[in-house]
Amino acid sequence: MVDFIKRDNNDLFKNPVFAFLFKNTRFLLLLRVAVAALFFYAIYYGFAYPGKENIFTGAVFWGVFWALFMVVTLSTFGRLFCGICPHGFLGKYITKHGLKKTMPEWMQNRYIGITLLVIGWWGIYYTFEGFWKSPFNTALMFGAMTLFAFILYYIYKDMSYCKYICPIGTLTRAYDKLSFTKLETYTDACKDCRTFECAAACQYNLKPFTFAKKNQTDDCTLCMDCAASCEAVKFKITKPAEQLSSKLKILSAEVWTYILIFASIPVSMGFAHGLNRSKIADEFIWNKTAAFFGMGDYAGGFAFLYAILFSLFFAILGLYLASKVLKKDYASTFTTLGVAFIPLFIFASLGHTLEMFFLKEYQTIVHGFAQGFGFNNVEVEALAKRGDGWLHYFKLFKWIGVIWAFILLYKRIKLIDATKFRKVLGYFFASLMILFYIGLNLYTGYVFSTYGAKSMGHGGHSSHGGKPAYLKEAGDPQEGRYTQTRIDPGESFYFSLTDPGMKQNRHSGYGFGGGRPGSKKEVPTQNVWLVYGDINDKKHYRSSTQDTFYYGLNHQEKPIIEKSSRGQKVLGFEVPGNGYYNLFAVDESQTATERFYKVAKLEYLRGMHGAEGIYDPEIKKVLSQNRTKIDLVRIKDKEEESFFYTHAMGDTLTFQALFENRPLANAEVKIALQSGWTKTFQTDSGGYVSIQLIRDYFPDWNAFDKRFKQEMLITLQHKQDNTNYILTYPATYYPNTNDYQSYGYALLLMTLTLLIAGSIIYRFRRNRTAPFREVRIDAKD
Amino acid sequence: MQKIKKIINNMNLQKVRFVIQLFSFILFVYGGYFAIDLGSKLPIFACPYNGEAAGACYLIPFQHQLSMPAQILLGGAGIAVITGLLGFLFWFIFLNKGWCGYVCPFGTLQDWLTYLRKSMGIRYSTYSQSQFEKLSKVKYIFLVIVILFPLLMGVGLLGGEWSAAFCQMCPARIISPTLNGDFSQWTIDFSTKTAMVLTTLGILFSGLFFVGSFVKKRFFCFFCPMSALHYIFSKFSIVQLRKEGSKCTRCGDCYAVCDMQIKDIADNVTDVNILRDDCILCLKCVAACPEEDALHFDILNFRAFSSTKEGFEKRMGIKN
Repeated sequence: MVDFIKRDNNDLFKNPVFAFLFKNTRFLLLLRVAVAALFFYAIYYGFAYPGKENIFTGAVFWGVFWALFMVVTLSTFGRLFCGICPHGFLGKYITKHGLKKTMPEWMQNRYIGITLLVIGWWGIYYTFEGFWKSPFNTALMFGAMTLFAFILYYIYKDMSYCKYICPIGTLTRAYDKLSFTKLETYTDACKDCRTFECAAACQYNLKPFTFAKKNQTDDCTLCMDCAASCEAVKFKITKPAEQLSSKLKILSAEVWTYILIFASIPVSMGFAHGLNRSKIADEFIWNKTAAFFGMGDYAGGFAFLYAILFSLFFAILGLYLASKVLKKDYASTFTTLGVAFIPLFIFASLGHTLEMFFLKEYQTIVHGFAQGFGFNNVEVEALAKRGDGWLHYFKLFKWIGVIWAFILLYKRIKLIDATKFRKVLGYFFASLMILFYIGLNLYTGYVFSTYGAKSMGHGGHSSHGGKPAYLKEAGDPQEGRYTQTRIDPGESFYFSLTDPGMKQNRHSGYGFGGGRPGSKKEVPTQNVWLVYGDINDKKHYRSSTQDTFYYGLNHQEKPIIEKSSRGQKVLGFEVPGNGYYNLFAVDESQTATERFYKVAKLEYLRGMHGAEGIYDPEIKKVLSQNRTKIDLVRIKDKEEESFFYTHAMGDTLTFQALFENRPLANAEVKIALQSGWTKTFQTDSGGYVSIQLIRDYFPDWNAFDKRFKQEMLITLQHKQDNTNYILTYPATYYPNTNDYQSYGYALLLMTLTLLIAGSIIYRFRRNRTAPFREVRIDAKD
Repeated sequence: MQKIKKIINNMNLQKVRFVIQLFSFILFVYGGYFAIDLGSKLPIFACPYNGEAAGACYLIPFQHQLSMPAQILLGGAGIAVITGLLGFLFWFIFLNKGWCGYVCPFGTLQDWLTYLRKSMGIRYSTYSQSQFEKLSKVKYIFLVIVILFPLLMGVGLLGGEWSAAFCQMCPARIISPTLNGDFSQWTIDFSTKTAMVLTTLGILFSGLFFVGSFVKKRFFCFFCPMSALHYIFSKFSIVQLRKEGSKCTRCGDCYAVCDMQIKDIADNVTDVNILRDDCILCLKCVAACPEEDALHFDILNFRAFSSTKEGFEKRMGIKN
C-alpha cells in the first residue's frame, strides 16, 4: 500500500477537480444514491402512469442514460456508465451479505448478456415498433432486470452478474477501449507492494496492479474502490484508443459485440429507418420477405435480421479471408483485427444522438424531468430546428468513425507478423465490413436522391429519423402556396434569376443554383424564372403560349429547357463557359381591342472563378437576331472588360432600341429601381438612350452593405398598328465602390505604419548598438 | 552519373535559385499576358486579385468552397472541396515546401527586399528563440481563420461580408496587383464594420510587410497560412529534406545561413526528416554543410543534392 505518490501530469487524479469527481468516496456515494433513487423513481413512475402521458420514464431511460450518457462517456472517459449503475452499486452490498457461491461454468458465458441485448432488446425494438416507447414496458423490463440482477448478486460472488449476464456489461467492456482514459497503477510503486489493497478492495476480483502490464482493464467498472484503498492507482489520460496500438488480449465475445451491435444499431437503423423511408422501400429484400410470410407489420424485424445477416457475412468472411491471406489462425486474427470495428458504432451513434439531443431530446428530457418532479410550468424550446446549418456537421461523425476504423485496422494489422503484400491484401479483406458500411451510406444517399422519400404518413418513431432533414423539407409539396390569379394580358413579364417563391437567403450571391459542382462532364445550368409584377413582389408568370429561347456564347440559338423543381416549373439554360447569354421569352396575347406582343429579355453574364475562357473584346459584339420583333440592346462600355463586371450606382447604361432590326426612334424607355424610383426616357433618332443609375442608397453606416444587390427593370414600349410591343430588360446593380472605399485612409494608415514601425526598429537598433559609455562618479560629491 | 552528381553538388545553388525565382516571379505576376493559366489550386501566393497572374492561390477557392451552406457542403458539393484539395496536393507533392523557396512570388519579393537591404549595407534582424517559438504559431491561427470562418459562414453564423476573410487581411492581395500597376486594392473598405476591420488589417500587414521583410529575411513566411497548410501534407511529398544525425558535428553553419532561423536543423541529430513547418526548402543549409551527406535533398529517396566537403569548399572559396 502506498500513502503518498507524486502524480504524473497525465494523471487525472492530480487535478483536484477531477480527483473530486472521480475519486472522492463521499461524492461518489452521493452520486450513486442519487442515480439509484432516480432509477427506482422512474420505474415506479412507469408503473404508476403506464400511459403515453408519462414522458418522465422515457426521458430518464431513453433520453439520458441509453444513448446519450452511454455513448458520450464510452468514447471519452470509459465505463462511467457502469461506475454509477444502480445495479452494480446496490449489488455490492447484496453480494456482501449473500451466499458467495461461484457461478456455474455454463453461466460464466458472456454470450448470455450479448444475446439478451441483441435479441431481447433490439430484436423487439425493430419487430414491434414502439414497444419500448411505452413507459409501462420500460418500467417492467427494468424492474424485472433489477430483480433478476439482485437475485444473482445474492447467490453468486465477484459481481458475476455484471460480467456475464448483464446485457450491457460486455458492451461497455468492449467499447471502453476507445476512450482516452485508462485506470492503472504506478508500477514502480507496486513493485514492492506485498499487501495488494487494490485487489482486496475490488469486488469484481480483479487485480488493478496488473492493468498497466496487461494494457487493459478487464471488467473494471471504474467504481474506484481501488483508488480509495491505495494512492498508487491512477486514472491516466492517454491518446484516444491508445491501448489498441499495442498488443492486448481481446475476448472473442468482445469482437462479437462489435459486430452484432454494429449490425443491430447503425446497419439496422439504416435498413429499417433509413432505406425504409424511401419511395422504393417495398423493393427491399426484408420487406419482400416480410410480405412473403404475410408479416408486413413486423417488417422491421426482418430488416433487423437481414442487417445481422449482411453484417455477419461481411465481417466473418472478411476476417476469415484475412486470416487465410495472413497465414494466421482464424481465432487470433478475429480478435486482433476485429477490434478495429469499434469506432463504427460509437461514432454513428454519437452523431445521431447528439443531433437528436439538440433537435428534440433536450426538450423531452427537460419536460420529462419537470413532469417527474412536479414542475408543471417548465417550458423549453428545442436547442435547434431541423435544417439548422450546424446540425449537418453531426452527419460527419459516422465518416470520422469510418476513417478511424481504417486507421485502427492499419495499427492492428501492423501487430501481425506477415509479409507486406499479405498485409495489404489482408487489410482489404478485414475491412470488408467497413466497406459495407460505406456502401450502405452511399447507397442510401443514392436512393434518396434518385427515388426520393416516401411521403411521411406514419409517425411512430419520428425520433429515429434516419432520413436527412433536408430531404424531408424538399418532399413537402409547395404547390398551392401560390394562388393562381388571372394575369392581365397587358401585364409585362420579365426574367428573374431568383425564385420568387423562395425566401431570399444570404447566399444568393453565389452561383449555387444550377448544375452539380464536382461533376465536370455535365454542363452546368442556370435557373431562371418568369415573373411579373413589382420587383419587390414578384409572382410566377404562367402562360402556355410563351416561346422561350436563348443565344449562347457563339450566338447560337437554343431552346430554354423547362424542368420542375420542388413542384415548380423552372426554366434552365446551359452555361458551358464564361460569357454573355441572351435569353428571350415572347408571349403574344389579345384583348378585344388591342394586341400585345411581350418580350422578356435577360442578358446574363456568367463569371465563374477558375473557368476557362478569356474576356476578349469579340464577345462584346452585339447579338443580332430576328426572332423577336422588338429588341433592346445594351451597348457595352469600354470599361467592361471582365466576366465579373457589375453595374454600379453612378454608371451610365446605354441602350439601343430596335424594331425589326432597325433603330427605333422616339420610343418610351422606362426604368424602375427596386427602391421604387422610376423615370421615363425617349430614344433618340438612332434608337439610343442613355440612363444614369442614380445613387439612391443612403442607409445608416451600420446597415450599409456593399453587397446589397439591387434590381432594376427597364421597359421599352412601342405601339404600332394597334399592337403594343413591350420589352422588359431586368438587371442588377450594386453600390459604387467609390462610395465606400477610401484610398486616403489607406494611404494614411500605410504611411503611419511605415513610419512607426520603421522608427521603432531604428530606435531599437540604435539602443542596442549605442557605444558603451563609461559612467564616471565624481569623487567630490 | 557520378560526374553529374558531382556537378550538381558543387554548383552555386543561389544563382540557380535566383534564376528560378525570377522566372517564376514573372510567370506568376505577369503570366497572364502570355495567356498562361495554371488553374486556381496553386500552393503559392499567386494572388488572383492581380488579374494577370498565371494561376491562383489555392486559399481563395478553398475559402469559397468551405463557405457553401452546410447542407450543400455536406451533400454532394463536399466532393468539390475534396477534388480541390487533391488538385492542390497534385501541385504540392512535386516540390513540397520548395514552392515557398523557389516559386512563390511573394517569397521572391521578400528575398529581393533582402538583397536591397544588403546592398544598402544595413544589417538584418533576428528573433530570439522564445520570440521565434511564439511567432511561428501565428500561421496556424491564420490557417484556422482560413478554415473556420468560411465554415461559420456556411452554418449562417457569419454574414457574407466575411467572405474570404483571410484574403481581405492578406498583404498579397494589396501588393500583388500593385506589381501590375493596379492600385485598386490600396483602399480601406468602409462598407461594413467587418470589412473595415479586415481591410485595415490588410493595409497594416502590408505596411509591416515592407518594413519587416526589409530588416528580417522572409518576414511574412513566418505567418503564412499556406505554409501551415503545406506542413500538414509535407510528409506525402516526393521531395524531402533529410539529415543524418550521426554525421552532424553541430557546427551550426546550417543554422547561420537559414533564412527562417530554424534551430532544429543544427541541433536535432535524431530526426531523419528535418523539414520543419517554417522551412522554405531553399537548401541553403545543404549548401552550407561541410560534412559529406549529413544533409541531403531527396527526390523519391534519390539523393538529388547532398552536402559534400568538396562542394562546401568550392562555394566557400577555400583552395587546397
